[in-house]
Amino acid sequence: MIFAGIDAGSRAIKIVVLGGPDPRVLSAGVVDQGVRQDALAMELFERLLGKAGAGRSDVCRIVATGYGRNLISVADTTITEITCHAAGVRHVAPAARTVIDIGGQDSKMLRLNVDGTVRDFAMNDRCAAGTGRFLEVVAGRLGVGLDDLGEMAGRSRSPAAISSTCVVFAETEITGLLASGASPDDIVAGVQQSIATRVVAMGGRNLDPPIVFTGGVAMVPGMSAALADALGQPVEIAREPQMTGALGAALLAARGR
Amino acid sequence: MSGWPRQITLDDWDSRYAELRAGGLREPEYGGPLRRHACDGDLRLCKLRFDNSAAALRLWNFLLTEEDRLHQARDAGKKIVGAMKDLGTVPVMAYALPDLVAFYPDGAWWTPCIMEGSDGLLKVADTLGVPDTFCPVRAMLGAFATGTQFPRPELLICSAGATCDDFSAIVQRLYDLGHEVLWWEMPHRRRAESCENKVVLPGGFTCSAGQVEMVRAGLCQVKESLELLSGSRLTNEALAAGIRRANGVRRLLGELRGLVFKADPCPLPALEMLIAEMLAIHFCSDPQETVEVLSGLLSEVRGRIAAGAGIWGTAAVRVFWVNPVADLRVMNLLEECGGRVCGTDYMFCHALDLIPEDVPPMEALARMALADPMVGSSRERAERICRDARMFGSETVVVSRIPGASHCGLEGGIIAEVVRQELGVPVLELEVPPVSDAMLPTLRTRLEALVETVREGRRG
Repeated sequence: MIFAGIDAGSRAIKIVVLGGPDPRVLSAGVVDQGVRQDALAMELFERLLGKAGAGRSDVCRIVATGYGRNLISVADTTITEITCHAAGVRHVAPAARTVIDIGGQDSKMLRLNVDGTVRDFAMNDRCAAGTGRFLEVVAGRLGVGLDDLGEMAGRSRSPAAISSTCVVFAETEITGLLASGASPDDIVAGVQQSIATRVVAMGGRNLDPPIVFTGGVAMVPGMSAALADALGQPVEIAREPQMTGALGAALLAARGR
Repeated sequence: MSGWPRQITLDDWDSRYAELRAGGLREPEYGGPLRRHACDGDLRLCKLRFDNSAAALRLWNFLLTEEDRLHQARDAGKKIVGAMKDLGTVPVMAYALPDLVAFYPDGAWWTPCIMEGSDGLLKVADTLGVPDTFCPVRAMLGAFATGTQFPRPELLICSAGATCDDFSAIVQRLYDLGHEVLWWEMPHRRRAESCENKVVLPGGFTCSAGQVEMVRAGLCQVKESLELLSGSRLTNEALAAGIRRANGVRRLLGELRGLVFKADPCPLPALEMLIAEMLAIHFCSDPQETVEVLSGLLSEVRGRIAAGAGIWGTAAVRVFWVNPVADLRVMNLLEECGGRVCGTDYMFCHALDLIPEDVPPMEALARMALADPMVGSSRERAERICRDARMFGSETVVVSRIPGASHCGLEGGIIAEVVRQELGVPVLELEVPPVSDAMLPTLRTRLEALVETVREGRRG
């Protein structure tokens, strides 16, 4: 009995394959998103099935999630990333009461019931300022890698104040900060604070702990600290945070959803 | 009941119309196939899904021919009154006088949606110094400037004060462009202090007697201007009769809302209900025909309920919807995602409540105007939303924000907080621009997630 979850996100496609009577992860993988979403997902899926020693005929059910979920032709059904992240977090951090998910294109805050189901949620609007896209723009502008951002933010003595609420304007603002002599470290710390502040503004500060951080941006060093600082509460990074949505989708597939 | 209920596209309506005609459909003079409106430029109709009943066809045709009616009224020598922002008060007075026709130029805010921007009204507003930092009702400015959407009214009347900052600024610009405007003041509604007499308003809000008197005095000036335009005196008897007629419309809508929002399966889609509710404000420039249109819908709904027929069954999540959407397509989207509308606050609840008939008519209108949910505190509005959501058994609340609308900036958060506290149901805030095509995927995700959340809660 094989089940799969495919998370077709804005920046990457993530797939988790589950198997066994008490389903456990048999294989999981990530591929960069592209124009041929369905084909990219299928190539990764076939590879992961092979790794799990299974064939297509062994697969009982596939759930697709993420912004590209409706383009995944092999999926039996689609479920939103809100529900899938909640299911994934429930599996890796059963006590979690709040989930912050920051992906490449959007950010979300989920309030969970004690049983791990979603009680309420908030998502950012069309602006990218509270998302991973902001970090990509900043890293590109400063000529550094995403992996360098945490160390840079850690070196900051005086985080820059980023006042723009739009990535496009913020980029202009960063140019101005560089021209005025602000250090790249302070700019990175300022941007991370800005993202954290926007996410907190979206969901409010009054969040039930434990707070678990998921999505690709959770892997960017320094972001969880920025969130914890903005929230005044500890923030725990989920195990393999980029895979949480796909894991949740696979678990929901196993439950017959 | 005119056939089993379902939602159909504009293409489907072509054959459905032929079928209804062959079955002996009798239409008013503004009747005809829906397609002609799309051919006239109402392009959005091609992307909407409509109820398939003859009553819904009549509703849409009535809505989309208002401009024709206004021109016919002008040709017949009637005077046209442009009522602005009060949403339901001034037309009651205007229609109580002979030879006056009232309409809301505010309604132009949906034109960029219906015409998918081909009208160019928002661009004209841009050039007049009213950009998209303002509510899309700025399209009205473009409509006045181009003269393409409605005949120029002989009299413009606008409520100002607590009603809406955006709207006041837009009408001030209109005034600068040479349009005379009669302003009347709407105070911010507040509860009476211990030393003041308290007045209970339609819908349950309260205020001080002094505020009612202030609004009554303002409305008396409006009345004088209408009398001057009409050349007739508006007696208390005539106004009382006008109030009874308006209440007739409100009773029909009250019954329609009660039936549609509570019935399972849902007998009428959200889009048609939104359009029907709007009739309470402006009668689409024909109060008598409004009664006919609403009676037709009510009859259809009763027939569907009696037959156990509907469009969405018990699986559909019961949603209370706050604020009208700038893009009508989103009402369809909610239903595609598994929701149905069970309760609404489209910012004019006061136009759905009955106008008091046991007090002098001018005071009755003043009380009704002060019951406007938008002229009091957001908390009061939220409390009414909670009350109505409870009454209709809503399982969740969607607060739809209008881009640029100043009131939306703060009230959404307040309404969401109060609803969560009082009802303990999930609340979703959405922003819907006039043409939301590029945002439909993200809007869909949110609405689907909301439906999933409520259904998960049902399982628990």
